[in-house]
Amino acid sequence: MQVTTMSFTVEPCSQETVIVRIGKALDFRNAAEFKSTCQTQVRSGARNFILDFSETGILDSTGLGSIFSLYRQVSPLEGQVVFAAVSRPVQVVVQLTRTYKVFRQFPSVEAAEEALQ
Amino acid sequence: MSEHSILVVEDEHTLRRLLEYRLGKLYDVRTAANGEEALELIGDHAPDLIISDIMMPKMDGFALQNAVQNQMETRAIPFIFLTAKADEQSRVKGMRTGVDDYITKPFDIEQLLIRVKRLLERTKVFQTQLDAKIGQDFSQKLMPKKLPEVPNYQLFFHNSPREHGGGDLFDWMEAAPGSYFLTVGDVMGKGLQAKFYAFSFLGYVRSTIHAMLRTTQSPAEIMKRVNQVLMDDPPMEETFASLLLLHWEPENHRVTYANAGHCRPVLITPSGPEIVEYSDLILGLDRNAEFRDTKVILPEDAALVAYTDGLSEQVLKSGEMAGETGIVESIEAGFGESDPIDAMLTNLIDRSESAEFGDDILVLWLQRQHTAVDWFSPFAADAQP
Repeated sequence: MQVTTMSFTVEPCSQETVIVRIGKALDFRNAAEFKSTCQTQVRSGARNFILDFSETGILDSTGLGSIFSLYRQVSPLEGQVVFAAVSRPVQVVVQLTRTYKVFRQFPSVEAAEEALQ
Repeated sequence: MSEHSILVVEDEHTLRRLLEYRLGKLYDVRTAANGEEALELIGDHAPDLIISDIMMPKMDGFALQNAVQNQMETRAIPFIFLTAKADEQSRVKGMRTGVDDYITKPFDIEQLLIRVKRLLERTKVFQTQLDAKIGQDFSQKLMPKKLPEVPNYQLFFHNSPREHGGGDLFDWMEAAPGSYFLTVGDVMGKGLQAKFYAFSFLGYVRSTIHAMLRTTQSPAEIMKRVNQVLMDDPPMEETFASLLLLHWEPENHRVTYANAGHCRPVLITPSGPEIVEYSDLILGLDRNAEFRDTKVILPEDAALVAYTDGLSEQVLKSGEMAGETGIVESIEAGFGESDPIDAMLTNLIDRSESAEFGDDILVLWLQRQHTAVDWFSPFAADAQP
């Protein structure tokens, strides 16, 4: 079943793992929505988040902050946040903030799914 | 979801439904049949405006208005009375208790919609003005009023906060004679909230530096401690910040820095620019994050330039963000100019899509000059045969 909110699509992939399609942008305009989308998922048992950045052209510091919040929420629960199909603009932000030290990256959503099984 | 929420309190079913329907096209509307129900709903979530009938069973409009007035959290909610009583007595009583508007039934719904809109706009303007004022106040407090004055060096600093910008911060202190700590950072998020967190965060940084200076001068050690403090303090749970901590010893032209995910500074010399590469994880993510000190020696005429991401996120004419490459180009344009930051920013704006910056911008330019002899003897060269 797919749940589509205004800009984020969430697909369950196993009991504890979900895929969030980030879409064109994650920035100050929709960061709050991203946060609440993820919170709903955490409440219903999701621990691992695969973020699909294949279409993402914009990731600003507010958007990145909302991913950090998610990370802080799931890491005490032994959960993980991983990045899949990272686009160039996203890669730039990840490099700059050195967050690749925290978020594992995978070339595709499938590769991430496999690793999280 | 609408920007504003309205609570309609009316005991007459048909009118309540009508209002819910008409207002519901523009706002989030909740309804209650009397004052008691209304107070419960207000307790769950305070609305942006209340429209209430006066004559109702259980708890009438006056009693409701009184209860709303007596609570600090709800006192400022605009209140409109709606009543069949066209008599002057109720109107006077309503006005006396601080009601914002008063509409008598039967009323024109369009008229009501206009009044609602006007009241909400007024509240918003007031809020925006207040935010701007507080934001400006924070922004000023986040920046020092003067810069260190050191022989053989010239410091330049530029900061232009924007109302909806983020939480850029800059601070410096002279830890011991000839030993300076410079802090450039950016607290994630936008608007007043980011500025507020930046302000609190700066307090942490300052007190941590002060407390640790007794035992260490290592920016990396201080950074590690700041990160732990940030991780351990529940009110700062949602705070993430990039921070560049520079320990500057002008006498031996040395800068030792630790960089927690902040925009990488640029070292520029007459032979060209280079990015000061090493950096570690941003603050607030991992309690056990490690940081490393890196030393940079400033040759004669060299400058070390630090900035925040408002600059690198500036959109160029090509439609792409300036990024590190774009910033380096502008720094080259500013290098050697009498006001290097001004020249640098002019260059960047000339290449931008828009004629102004889209976000907070902050630049710190640490310029080492010619040795004192050359600098203070501009005619020395002429004296040579």
